[in-house]
Amino acid sequence: MMNMNRLIVFSRTFRIGQRLLGCHARHAGKEELRLQQRRSIKTHSRHLAYAKDLFLGQVNKAEVFPYPEIGNDELEEIKQLVAPVEKFFSDDVDSAKIDREATIPPETLQGLKDLGLFGIMIPEEYGGLGLSNTIYARLNEIIALDGSIAVTLAAHQAIGLKGILIAGNEAQKQKYLPKLASGEHIAAFCLTEPGSGSDAASIQTRATLSEDGKHYLINGSKIWISNGGMADIMTVFARTEVEVDGVKKDKISAFIVERAFGGITSGKPEDKLGIRGSNTCELSFDNVPVPVENVIGEIGGGFKIAMNILNSGRFSMGSSCAGMIKKLIELTSEYATTRKQFNKSLSEFGMIQEKFAMMALNAFVMESMAYLTSGMMDRPGIPDCSLEAAMVKVFSSEGGWICVSEALQVLGGLGYTKNYPFERFVRDCRILPIFEGTNEILRMYIALTGMQYAGKILTGKIKEMKKGNIGLAIGMVSKKLRASLGASVDLGLTGKDGVVHPSLEDSAKKLEQNVSLFGSTVESLLYRYGKTIVDEQLVLKRVADVLIHIYAMTAVLSRASRSISIGLRNHDHEVLLANTFCNDAFFKNNYWMVQLQKHSPENNDANIKKIAKQVLENRAYICSHPLERTY
Amino acid sequence: MKGSRCLHQLKSLRLLSHAGRLLPPAAGDNGALFRPRSSSQLGGLQCAQREVLRHFHSSPACTKGQPARFVQEEDKTRDKSLVTHDDLFEQVAKEAKTKATFNKVIDVYTKGDIRRRGHVEFIYAALKKMPEFGVEKDLTVYNKLLDVFPKEVFVPRNFIQRMFNHYPRQQECGVQVLEQMENYGIMPNIETKVLLVQIFGEKTHPMRKYQRIMYWFPKFKHVNPFPIPEQLPEDPVDLARFSLTRMANDWDAKVTVYQLPCTDVTESGAEVTLPHIVGIQSPGQMEALAKHNPDRPVFVEGPFPLWMRKTCVYYYVLRADPTPPEEKIEEPYDPERCLSYPLQLDLDLDRDLGDDESFDVEDLDEGPVFAMCMTSQGDQATLNQWISGLQESNPILGQIPTLFRLGAGPRELQGVGDADSASRSWFPSHVQREEAHPGEEAEAVVEEAEAVVEEAEAVVEEEPRRSQVVMTLGLRSDCGGNFVDSSHRLWSFSSGVSVKKAPDEVHHHALHPCIALMQCIGKFALLTQRSPTAAIAGPGCSHTGASSRLHQMQLQWIQ
Repeated sequence: MMNMNRLIVFSRTFRIGQRLLGCHARHAGKEELRLQQRRSIKTHSRHLAYAKDLFLGQVNKAEVFPYPEIGNDELEEIKQLVAPVEKFFSDDVDSAKIDREATIPPETLQGLKDLGLFGIMIPEEYGGLGLSNTIYARLNEIIALDGSIAVTLAAHQAIGLKGILIAGNEAQKQKYLPKLASGEHIAAFCLTEPGSGSDAASIQTRATLSEDGKHYLINGSKIWISNGGMADIMTVFARTEVEVDGVKKDKISAFIVERAFGGITSGKPEDKLGIRGSNTCELSFDNVPVPVENVIGEIGGGFKIAMNILNSGRFSMGSSCAGMIKKLIELTSEYATTRKQFNKSLSEFGMIQEKFAMMALNAFVMESMAYLTSGMMDRPGIPDCSLEAAMVKVFSSEGGWICVSEALQVLGGLGYTKNYPFERFVRDCRILPIFEGTNEILRMYIALTGMQYAGKILTGKIKEMKKGNIGLAIGMVSKKLRASLGASVDLGLTGKDGVVHPSLEDSAKKLEQNVSLFGSTVESLLYRYGKTIVDEQLVLKRVADVLIHIYAMTAVLSRASRSISIGLRNHDHEVLLANTFCNDAFFKNNYWMVQLQKHSPENNDANIKKIAKQVLENRAYICSHPLERTY
Repeated sequence: MKGSRCLHQLKSLRLLSHAGRLLPPAAGDNGALFRPRSSSQLGGLQCAQREVLRHFHSSPACTKGQPARFVQEEDKTRDKSLVTHDDLFEQVAKEAKTKATFNKVIDVYTKGDIRRRGHVEFIYAALKKMPEFGVEKDLTVYNKLLDVFPKEVFVPRNFIQRMFNHYPRQQECGVQVLEQMENYGIMPNIETKVLLVQIFGEKTHPMRKYQRIMYWFPKFKHVNPFPIPEQLPEDPVDLARFSLTRMANDWDAKVTVYQLPCTDVTESGAEVTLPHIVGIQSPGQMEALAKHNPDRPVFVEGPFPLWMRKTCVYYYVLRADPTPPEEKIEEPYDPERCLSYPLQLDLDLDRDLGDDESFDVEDLDEGPVFAMCMTSQGDQATLNQWISGLQESNPILGQIPTLFRLGAGPRELQGVGDADSASRSWFPSHVQREEAHPGEEAEAVVEEAEAVVEEAEAVVEEEPRRSQVVMTLGLRSDCGGNFVDSSHRLWSFSSGVSVKKAPDEVHHHALHPCIALMQCIGKFALLTQRSPTAAIAGPGCSHTGASSRLHQMQLQWIQ
């Protein structure tokens, strides 16, 4: 108890101190940053984003080189912030207990609130910390050490209150944000319904305008609502009748709903595999009266809001996973170096070494991708980084899962017991590829967004080719011939105006080759499938995978180049990691792109589809048992 | 010299066997049938034979003369000798036609004559009688029958014997035994093989036949993707449930028993039998029905036959005419449909022709089928009960006019070559059992199947739209029924092709003509399981788009 009090006192004083100290400095820093960046706006258009251009076989190097930096004062701020949060998580958060009891103790929640972690990205004028995406990502590295807390906080601020933040009007912000920032109110995001995941058309919850026209009455139920049991403010999406061109249509609208409005009942918390401390439950709305002024944006505009919220919340998973893996490396390396077998420590065995190298590589790549993306998002203007954010999410959630399970493997049977935290990490980590848009859906998003962008530009050219334009065909053939004869592709990453450090030149060349081949692959895919590519999910999956790896290569090259240039500690290790990763990714990409060629023997898609079809038609594994006989 | 000697030997042995055929009619009791008489009456004949053997070397001219005489004699007496063995069975049959008595006859024969005279005729006669004794599907009996052949006598001893048809009649008889096993779908076992090796030796015709059977049978045993159990459920409700599920081929389809069969006595004392009504409907069909335009009527049509092995059941469908093109509304693409990714690309590029792998299938819109049912009493009142039962889960049926278009009966689709089909009233029982005799009818069936196809096509032309579903279904089930019998034709066809080829080659070469034949008969790629019955009731056939699915299904099977 004593301890607790001291903590509260400590964190309060810290916050005050921070307020006093930090604010001025931050403001000054931001002014400076803005000035710098305003200059850069003029040099290139903000509408272009890096990933989309890759579909055309172009590297928009100005977007990603040099690696985004933060100002010194902002760095100071991070240092001030990170230390107490780290201390709090190592001293005051008992993750095992949270997992066991499936609830976050109130004093822990209070501690989080006191640290200001409920309002990291809420502007200061509404009582939040007003931090940038980059610092948010940095804090998430620490927060991710407890999956339950991370999910609770993410549901609160990455999606729960994001609607008010990005689309709410001034009055709504004034009314709701301060209490949300302090953690007095907790937010939740209510979109999913029993019959509707990503399908907006099957949302059944309905909001009808009351007779006096002052309220909307919301009816329906929502499932799998994180923080559903404890949320006071909810962003609820419901179907509303809207008149478009004289025709009445149902459109989705977003509402701010307070639990205090009445009529909201939350179900029993779900019993989950992982992130057990986070509260997930069903919410049902029975004639909940919502004042018309609580509509976010305009009525019928909920779809865009939902999409923006979902798209903007994903980038931080990269740093979360990286933070987790870094922690895992610490935990397991101690075991691997002390445990002896046959008079050798585990760390001397190649297969154990491989696991650590893989963890380090993954952490490095995730970090690079996450901070590159957050840096891009922090640039002024309204950058559309949803594609990049989705790529970070897919890569890190899958890499995280592999790393966690490999870390557990290092400990063998010990890792499988509850005496060690690894099994909890494995369970917690399993949610990552599922929530915030499943990886399958995100891959579709990544590939299709790019295909749409490239298709718009390439349609004319492809049509000419289909008509039989000889000039174009000869150009294509000669280009392919040159490429096959081994002519190097030069996209300007190295050389005279190069942005990549010479010690990474080989890797940069590989990236250029991949990008160029990717461009022609996309072109041929568009030529072959046109708009029906939407139905070619296995093709799209590979396109997305290639793109993710190209983006990852870019991120590590950019980051390592910067590290060498400014002489960061252990930058030689970074170069090693970057080169290793690029080499690995280069071959993977080539393999995938070979699979994407027509009549490629490496491509098993037709068989895969056939197998799945036969299995699914019978809803069972249909082979006869090997012990069966016919005579 | 060696060659000519063995030829002579062969001839003389044939003489021996011919001699067996000259046995007089067995008039006595079934025990000790031939022995006394044959030995006494044939004494002279045997002497003549011995003479032949004796004089073999010294007087070839004499031996030349002898066989001719025997052949002439044989021609005169063949029928007589067959009657002999038939009589043997007939006599036993007076007591009881069972496996035991059948075995007894064989025992009597084998023990009766150590030389097994006339065993070929005996085996032919036995084969013919097997169905009568109900042992046509009993492997042990076949083995026992093969055991009648004397051992090692017919095994070729040198390459010339091996090269020429050594003991052709015996071999032919052996093949015939295997052929009948094949026709009844009986798979030989290792004992059969041992017997064949002992009797005829390796690489002889019966052995080849055995190998061919063992090559194809296991492959065809489970080839039917929609197997019918050996024993169909006896209870009409269970049978209806089974048949409906089989036809619907939809895992989600739900079978509802609207009425169980029962017998009631009314106040006036009259006995009223309530028919069973079993229906099936899938969620997809419910959805389609809910979207049906209430201004357009739905039809209750039937009865349509469905063959399940040798059983024919009848079913009814609730269907509608195809939606006219002006009423078809395509759901417009809603860009605000998917929260996560674009469901359509806004591009002006179509799929390249080189990547268009879809088949050019002419889709004929047949109109949706909303539900199916089976009942023992196909009158309008009963079917109305079904519709009102359906209405509980499909309230829209209350608004849609329902027309009953009930057919008169199964017409000639009903039976294959059974003369008494006309005398059978087709309705009183829900089930008709057809006694088919594969061996006898195999020949006729193929032609008839073809005739039915032609006839069916003719009907389709007459009233193209209305009868699409009807004819597809009728055709299929009918052909399925016919296949019951015609399948062994396919068997012999495939084995005929494979005679001169190694098994590996056969696999590819023989299968295709086999399938081609099947297609030409009934447009089915399907063959027997263990028994040659292979009635197909078309899964999926009663759903919308039946023809295209049918087509796909065929393609799949052929692949």
